[in-house]
Amino acid sequence: MSAQVTETVGRPAASYSSGATLKQRVEDFLALEGELLDERKFDAWLDLLDEDVHYWMPLVRNFEFSRPQDEYSEQGVGAAWFDEGKATLRQRVMQIQGGDHWAEEPLSRTTHITTNIRIVEATDTEITVKSRFLLYVNRREEEVRIFVGKRIDVLRPTENNFLLKKRSIFLDQTKMLFKNLSNFF
Amino acid sequence: MTTDGIGAGLINTGSGLVDRAIFSDQSIFDREMEAVFDKSWLFVGHESQIRNNGDYFLSQLGRDQVVVTRDNSGKVNVLLNVCTHRGMPVCRYDRGNAKMFTCPYHGWTFANNGDLTGVPLRTEGYGGNLDRAKWGLIKARVVCYYGSIWATFDEAVPEFEDFLGDMAFWLREFLMSPDGEDDGIEVVDGILKCEIPSNWKFGVENAAGDLYHDVSHKSVQRVGLSLSKLRGRHTWDADPATFKLLNITFPAGGHAVRGNLYDFANREYQSQWAAIPEVDEYFREAHYTRQKRLVEKERLLNRGGVVFPNFIYNAANRTSITTLIPRAAGRTEIWKWVFVPKNAPQAVKDAMRHYLLRYTGPAGMVEQDDFENWGSAQLGAESILARRLPMNYQLRLGDYAKWAWPEPWIGAGALVDEGVSEHAQRVFYDRWSEMMTGEPQTVRQEAAE
Ligand code: FES
Ligand SMILES: [Fe+2]
Repeated sequence: MSAQVTETVGRPAASYSSGATLKQRVEDFLALEGELLDERKFDAWLDLLDEDVHYWMPLVRNFEFSRPQDEYSEQGVGAAWFDEGKATLRQRVMQIQGGDHWAEEPLSRTTHITTNIRIVEATDTEITVKSRFLLYVNRREEEVRIFVGKRIDVLRPTENNFLLKKRSIFLDQTKMLFKNLSNFF
Repeated sequence: MTTDGIGAGLINTGSGLVDRAIFSDQSIFDREMEAVFDKSWLFVGHESQIRNNGDYFLSQLGRDQVVVTRDNSGKVNVLLNVCTHRGMPVCRYDRGNAKMFTCPYHGWTFANNGDLTGVPLRTEGYGGNLDRAKWGLIKARVVCYYGSIWATFDEAVPEFEDFLGDMAFWLREFLMSPDGEDDGIEVVDGILKCEIPSNWKFGVENAAGDLYHDVSHKSVQRVGLSLSKLRGRHTWDADPATFKLLNITFPAGGHAVRGNLYDFANREYQSQWAAIPEVDEYFREAHYTRQKRLVEKERLLNRGGVVFPNFIYNAANRTSITTLIPRAAGRTEIWKWVFVPKNAPQAVKDAMRHYLLRYTGPAGMVEQDDFENWGSAQLGAESILARRLPMNYQLRLGDYAKWAWPEPWIGAGALVDEGVSEHAQRVFYDRWSEMMTGEPQTVRQEAAE
């Protein structure tokens, strides 16, 4: 890997090429985000989040065909795996960074794969993006967790990049098949 | 009770030693399902999950899946989710509302109280001879206790309040709102479910009174979690009033509580939710109302505990219930219900919901480290070489615990130790051993002498 390829942190390459489309820039942003998490640059990842970010992963249920509203727990009312703002995401990062958070000590190996990226709506202030994710986690020797699901992100354009304003994560699991959710999506 | 010897000699609470096989041996696990789980009242859910007639949700009674319903007459039922014809689960949804459950296989139809109401070809095929009254879903005995729902399929298990003994006060108190009103909490919609690679007993003994494991939670203490604006994860960390730290056990049933007994009655409220003044104000008022309602027992802070065998709760503003659902010797499902005070302002409900979801479950900043540790303890329990070595439960082993202490109103059935101790775990395993082998418990024998 050349130095040029690895040194993209905080500077999405596409944003420098005048010909980059909005979609290319969005894809670049999402790839960068996953890369920072996988490289454990958690503080740099936090910098990509808006101060008012809302990060939400509802519970998922098996539901009657006639009651689709039962599938996900209700935002702001029901229980959730995550219902976070920037302050508490920062706390979670600080927890990992002390060397004493046993669920992530030693740190997991993660690979974030974000795909099927589609811009659903774009205004001057907000871009809504749908995607699919695969988060592979490997811990200690034999622990493997594979999280697959759907994401809806709202990005806020800044001068030469974006900030994540809202992330909704819909995991394709009702019962969590693993003992911990100690990674970011 | 048990005659084949499974379970005998595994527990020696007199010397504080426990054989690792109780965590790893599948034949011991199978015996537990019959001798412990089938013979106990088990928690299945909360009435606030089924507010309207017809509401239902799926739950677990040990290894058996059950449907918990509020039937058309408003009564709560716990029904084995097994069709009496050929065994299909008749309900396939985590929750919903239904007047009846129709089996997907041959179409037998059961009312939401379990009665068999419809059988295809009943006249032509069965000649009208099928006695529908005999073929309803299997119904458990059910008790609703201040909002919580308990059930057992065993007719011989004693009445629920006898099963609880003096633990009753603590369970009832846990189910109160912060101002001491009975049946004062409601479920935040949704049950958090996850799976841990661990024996179910590691979670229970932890909640029974492992006050020794604080080091597990160093990372969250460092970062802070409570909204008191002070470091720490508990809201009560902000209260400087002095107290005795109690490991209260109820050996007859195997139940246990972790509690603070404050040295002085009617202490002043100390701000515990300073980050949100409106919420702090609610808890201030609640504090004084509770003092009036609980009279001398207001000095107690119920921190959490265990109803034997697999119900654990966290109290003191971390209002949540966990059941440890045994799947195999090394595999357990964790189910978690989180609660907020029913009659509190919305701001209080929101603050508690957020605090709880950050505290508890597989995404919780506190319990992630617990689950990691229980999974790791399982590795040790399964180690071939280490099996020669019993697990050590000797912390404060000796003549420390006292009956009905420090105040007689704590109950004649309470055996209490003070401080950081493994007393509660020893009592838990004593009761476990009694149920597994039929041999009376060491502590109760000694007390009788
Ligand atoms: S199995 Fe249910 S109707 Fe046959
Ligand atoms: Fe813990």
